[in-house]
Amino acid sequence: MKRLKSIYNSERFLRILFGSALFVVLCMGGLAYKYIRDLSESFKMVQHTYEIHIELEKLTTLLKDAESGKRGFIISKDTTFLSPLLNNREELAETLKNVKTLTIDNPEQSANVVVLEKKIDESMAIFDLTLAMAKDSLAHTQEFRNAFTRGRFTMNSIRNKVNEMTRHENELLKERRDESSESLSNAPLMVYYTLIISLVILLITYAQLSRSLKVLRNKNEQLETFVESTNQSAMISKYGNWVWHIEDQIFEFSDTLYRLLGEAPQSFEPTIENFLKYVHPEDRERFMEEVDQMYVSQELNNLHYRIIQKDGTRKHFKAFAKLFKDSHGHHRLIGTTTDITDEKENYRILEEKNVELERNNEELASFNYVASHDLQEPLRKIQTFISRLEGKELDNLSDNGKLYIDRIKTSASRMRSLIDDLLQYSRTNRSETSMELSNINELIDTAKHDLAEVIEEKKAVISVDILPEMKVIPFQIKQLFLNLISNSLKYSKEDVPPVITITYSKTKVSQMPWVKSVRHKSYHTITVSDNGIGFDPSYAEKIFVLFNRLHSKGTYSGTGIGLSICKKIMTNHNGFIQAEGTLNEGATFTVYLPIY
Amino acid sequence: MIYMNKDITYVVLADDDEDDRLFFTEAFEELKITTKVETYEDGVALMDALSADDALIPNILFLDLNMPKKSGLECLKEIKKSKRFQDMAVAIYSTSASEEDIENTFVNGANIYIKKPSDFNTLKKILSDVVTVNWQYHTSGLNRDNFLLRL
Repeated sequence: MKRLKSIYNSERFLRILFGSALFVVLCMGGLAYKYIRDLSESFKMVQHTYEIHIELEKLTTLLKDAESGKRGFIISKDTTFLSPLLNNREELAETLKNVKTLTIDNPEQSANVVVLEKKIDESMAIFDLTLAMAKDSLAHTQEFRNAFTRGRFTMNSIRNKVNEMTRHENELLKERRDESSESLSNAPLMVYYTLIISLVILLITYAQLSRSLKVLRNKNEQLETFVESTNQSAMISKYGNWVWHIEDQIFEFSDTLYRLLGEAPQSFEPTIENFLKYVHPEDRERFMEEVDQMYVSQELNNLHYRIIQKDGTRKHFKAFAKLFKDSHGHHRLIGTTTDITDEKENYRILEEKNVELERNNEELASFNYVASHDLQEPLRKIQTFISRLEGKELDNLSDNGKLYIDRIKTSASRMRSLIDDLLQYSRTNRSETSMELSNINELIDTAKHDLAEVIEEKKAVISVDILPEMKVIPFQIKQLFLNLISNSLKYSKEDVPPVITITYSKTKVSQMPWVKSVRHKSYHTITVSDNGIGFDPSYAEKIFVLFNRLHSKGTYSGTGIGLSICKKIMTNHNGFIQAEGTLNEGATFTVYLPIY
Repeated sequence: MIYMNKDITYVVLADDDEDDRLFFTEAFEELKITTKVETYEDGVALMDALSADDALIPNILFLDLNMPKKSGLECLKEIKKSKRFQDMAVAIYSTSASEEDIENTFVNGANIYIKKPSDFNTLKKILSDVVTVNWQYHTSGLNRDNFLLRL
């Protein structure tokens, strides 16, 4: 996101760069236009001055020519000297007119021209006079001489005037040249600078562009990887995507969506009508209702429907869509359609198993009832009748008969304890009672109290550590200690009073290698050890199995259920129980309860 | 009306089991207490007998729970609805001692819960204890802990 933001920023940066470059180039163009115009202007001025120069020069030359022609005629009396004079007159007028036009924009020069014209007219009048006198051969007269002198004066003043005008024009030219040369000499440098600036801007732009391009390329690669991995996950987890462009009213289906329908990617036009052909006929109406609703509400919430592929395969689909607004303000509904056929199938299997499990549980419950009520009733009567026989008819029986009665009595009571223990085992369920924080020492005391008679009889010594409070199902933990202590009492050595020691410690889960899935860090550890007959260590696992007994019935009474109940209780508590034993030395049972 | 002979206790048992009825009557025969014992073989027979206008109300009624036609619990509920039986003690006399049964009968107003023993001498002891209890006193101190008779 950060990188993308930098791209947006660089886009703005680029825009600013391009704007300034454009501005600089425009300025440069304007400047260049101005310089070129100035240049051509000053060139025109120079040309103008030279034209005036030429015309004025021509003017003086014409006058000089006339004068020298006249003088030639006076000296030689040859009239050929006079022939150009006739043409000169017209040319002179023409030239004067030209000068007048050229200087029309300059009042000072115009005034000079007026003076010049007057002087030329005057000079022409004198010229004509002297020429006429010379023709009449009056050249030696004083009058002619005077006129001639006056003519020379006029001629000189004309030359002066022309010189003055030329000088003025020169000054004007110089002034203009100074003016324009100053700005013109700066022009190349200015153009050069702007060119450099433009180049620098262009370079920065290029650098920025190539950097952005690189970022974009990287992003593109990432995007491609993402698209590829999305496609893969779509194929594996069986989902397809689709987009509805709300403004344009068109759909777009992903390749995987086509595959879900069992078709080649993009093999038909992505429209609702085409998609509907695959929807199960029974689901079509509901499907269209939901789609129409989607057009209005612009969202789709978990639409479940079935489809039929062309080859007849039926699938369960689930669709979900949410509105998405892109940076251009376009609204799109982005949807995901998932193939949940497997999910449905698994769910169905699970449900079947659940039903089966429930049935099994019911059977077990009815078995419990049968065991608790129906089995106990005949047994109770057998026992009661035996007690009637013993009480009323014992004297009428032979010794053998008495022995048989005794045996029946033993068997009946053994059957009773078997039924009781089995019931105990099947009732040891987790769901029966919830866990509560309990005083374990109290629970052990209750168990000891229940066994007080045997403890007294065997003169057993039981020592118990102070145990912390634990979260347990109290009656089950009481049962656990009852079974363990009674187990120790039962399998004690005949001539040695039993010594039972209950100790407490804590164990970290890392020290319990048999724990497969670690759910608790550490465990309360309670050990119950005795000095009884012990057992062969190779039976350490076997003794917890239901109905498993290590001794014949005659030696030690027991149903083989007690320790199984202990194991079940520990499983209910997410705990463990382990047995260690040495034959003829004693047994140690270790109970692990999780610390929450 | 309630049986008012000070020297004789009138006890009634409703139980569908013939053997249990036999043990019950034999136990009272052997006991040194003067009692009048009657037995019925199901809940309907019991309720019919008790509901008769001239019926004598027993001092103690022993109710088996699992009976055909009308169960012990149904009988108990009917009995507790009627003022007629307010002075009669009801003892539940059942094979099972499931928590559910104990709870249900306690809530419905039974006075004591007896689990049928598997020894005749124990039975005699229990019945003798139950008959000699001062029910007036026992009922007033009714509580959940001494409801189930333990021996």
